[in-house]
Amino acid sequence: MRLREHPILHFRRGRELTIYFEGRPIKAYEGETIAMALHAAGIRVLNHSPNKNRPRGLFCAIGKCSSCLMVVNGIPNVRTCITLVEDGMRIERQKGRARLPIKAKPPEFREAKVVKADIVVIGGGPAGLMGAINASDAGARVVLLDENPMLGGQLVKQTHKFFGKREQFAGVRGVEIAKILEEEVRKRENVEVFLETSAVGIFHDGNEKLVLGVRKNRELIEFRGRAVIVATGAMERMIPFENNDLPGIYGAGAIQTLMNTYGVKPGERVLIVGAGNVGLILAYQLVQAGVEVRAIVEAMPKVGGYFVHAAKVKRLGVPILTGHTILRAEGKERVERAVVAQLDENWKPIPGTEKVFDVDVIALAVGLRPSIELLHQAGCQIRFIRELGGHVAVRDEWMETTVRGIFVAGDSAGIEEATTAMLEGKIAGIAATLRLGIAEEGWVKEIEGAQRDLEEFRSGPFGRHVAEGIRKLLEGVGNA
Amino acid sequence: MSKIAVIGGGIIGVATAYELAKLGEDVILFEKNYFGSGSTFRCASGIRAQFTDEANVRLMKYAVERWERLEDELGFDINFRQTGYLFLATSEEEIEAFKANIRLQNRFGVPTRLIDMDEAKEIVPILNPEPFLAGTWNPRDGKANPFKTLFAYLFRAREMGVDAREHTEVIGFEREGDEITAVRYRSRGKAESVKVDAVLNATNAWAPTINEMAGLKRGIVPIKVYKHQLVKTELLEKGQAEPLVCPPSWNDAYIIQDGEDGGIICGAGIEHEARGLNDVEPTYDFLRGVLRYAVMMAPPLKYAHVIRQWAGFYAKTPDRNPAIGKLLEDFYISAGFSGHGFMMAPAVAQAMAELIARGRSKVPIDWEWYDPYRFERGELHTSAFQIG
Repeated sequence: MRLREHPILHFRRGRELTIYFEGRPIKAYEGETIAMALHAAGIRVLNHSPNKNRPRGLFCAIGKCSSCLMVVNGIPNVRTCITLVEDGMRIERQKGRARLPIKAKPPEFREAKVVKADIVVIGGGPAGLMGAINASDAGARVVLLDENPMLGGQLVKQTHKFFGKREQFAGVRGVEIAKILEEEVRKRENVEVFLETSAVGIFHDGNEKLVLGVRKNRELIEFRGRAVIVATGAMERMIPFENNDLPGIYGAGAIQTLMNTYGVKPGERVLIVGAGNVGLILAYQLVQAGVEVRAIVEAMPKVGGYFVHAAKVKRLGVPILTGHTILRAEGKERVERAVVAQLDENWKPIPGTEKVFDVDVIALAVGLRPSIELLHQAGCQIRFIRELGGHVAVRDEWMETTVRGIFVAGDSAGIEEATTAMLEGKIAGIAATLRLGIAEEGWVKEIEGAQRDLEEFRSGPFGRHVAEGIRKLLEGVGNA
Repeated sequence: MSKIAVIGGGIIGVATAYELAKLGEDVILFEKNYFGSGSTFRCASGIRAQFTDEANVRLMKYAVERWERLEDELGFDINFRQTGYLFLATSEEEIEAFKANIRLQNRFGVPTRLIDMDEAKEIVPILNPEPFLAGTWNPRDGKANPFKTLFAYLFRAREMGVDAREHTEVIGFEREGDEITAVRYRSRGKAESVKVDAVLNATNAWAPTINEMAGLKRGIVPIKVYKHQLVKTELLEKGQAEPLVCPPSWNDAYIIQDGEDGGIICGAGIEHEARGLNDVEPTYDFLRGVLRYAVMMAPPLKYAHVIRQWAGFYAKTPDRNPAIGKLLEDFYISAGFSGHGFMMAPAVAQAMAELIARGRSKVPIDWEWYDPYRFERGELHTSAFQIG
């Protein structure tokens, strides 16, 4: 189930190779992740849950959840959604809790590789890339790490054209913006990039910050700098309903990863839950890829996303059922049906209004929450701000958190969108460079310019909500 | 019935409040943060009778017997499991020392025995037997869940009328002559006081401050606070490293599988003198150091992910034995546990409660050994056998 033709994307697949799923050979392509290759081969159940032995499949596809953990070459708990295939790899479903490979030999010790820079940027999405580019232009040596095998974050799966100003890439597709930013980063000699590298902790060592990295699950790297920009993005929300863990229920982003990044068809018939921008954009991306979208259900009485997106979806013939929610998923080892119902004014399902959709995929586009784990671990003060998507780090107008030298940008600072993430990344990159005494004073003007752009962007009806959240954050309102 | 103030809402304070209530006393319990926040909820959860001196062996033998019945007594699951402690020797001299320990422990009814590395490997499937010669094994040692245990004691204590208050800090005592008549405390910014007949200082790392409030010298029980850290892996299948496994000659490094989620907890004697009583920040040198030992001990751990690292305090006395006893006519102490508070709690709480309420105890506790004035007199004991 691989996509061969797409109106916008061209899938350049690497060398063909063979992996073995429970002994069975499976064709895969160099450069794709294990979970993608398995999905293309029709394998949906990736493991069985530790406590109730329930089948589980892909959910987030960007390494943020534990839904795709498998045993790879005898090693358990491997996040197969961000681990690249290698020829001859042996892959097994993990059943219950992980059993360590008992015959492992004692390791040979080496000192950890040390990478020094002025600024360590964690996350290679729009915020991190812009942070790195601007910090570098302002004179800093930058090292950027990302645990995914490619740069661009969630831009790499956005086929739609962006809004806003020309200098904010208006009219350019997300996937193209990712390429432009990557080229910009790659051509700067004072930016070093580490992919497939997870940041597992931030330690304070005098004036130095130590970001502990693990590359390809085996190599320890100490990233040492004087400032850190955390641009770790967000993670998909889950909502409660019966059987919400059945394989075939994916976060919206995972479906985009499957079809737009790796050219794997997510399924045949889809029900989307949530009519915000993500749900709406996903609907027409699915149609682009030749997948049928049966309906979008939205619990709120009206569509949450931009009117232009909603209009486009309706033109494509996809019904949007407002005031509806999903009651349950049905199916044995994978989604076979979804049951939805209408809601009364107290958000209770109205008996007798149930509708059954014969779908094999349920897409959850019910919002995101900031990935703040590293910020929390590093000791940054955290507050709950509903308008920003939940718990976020307290930060100032230069994106510096309450821990001196640790900056935040993009969705990890509060859920918004790629355009604002890029602007925040720019501010954080320049601010960190200024704080370190590297950048010339003149760079303050660049920060002010980006702040004006942000303000303008947030003056619309959608942005105002976020601006209100940021106001609360800056004024110290909200639950600590 | 007397009114007794217990200061410190860790396992020692909470369990002693429970035991006092059982004896019919009227108890008010103060915790300045939340219950368990000091050291109890940060501990590695191990329980052992494998000590190397008579007083600690006998006390811990009794404590283990209490642990064995504690779930029934408290009526809550506390996940006490006798999964054993396995100490590993790396030299012939160490084996000789181990044999002497075993003789001592056996003399007081602790069933420790010397085992070869084949048996050790059967008990701990992920163990690397190569670097070790033999082990001492007591299958009756074990572990329990510190959170569940503290809450079970707390629930039953409150049920019997203990007035247990958290976020309530003791700020001083009122006295008439040498006698303490009331405890002053602060809660939600408001200072208040309560009349009491006796006070127990169960604040472990914070004990010198409370001693000072009682008009004693700060150093009457000299406690030095060390930051001790642990790391823990992701959840794993149970049965891979259930016992606490420790080669003492490897800087007291140890591993023990969490009885709840199967994550493997790794510790070591890489300690730092705490910069203050708020210094619980994990350090990189510990992470590197402890994992180096852990993977040599159990090589399959090199494939496990560490998901957590945290620090707590070892409140150490000069001889690593706690100070348990009477400091003034109406002022008692149970502190300085040097890393052994959780495992000793059931026995020490009972002994202290009986001492306060009855003036003597049925617990086989050597009061002289734990005498809080021994430091003042310069009569230190041999160090309690402490790991990690």
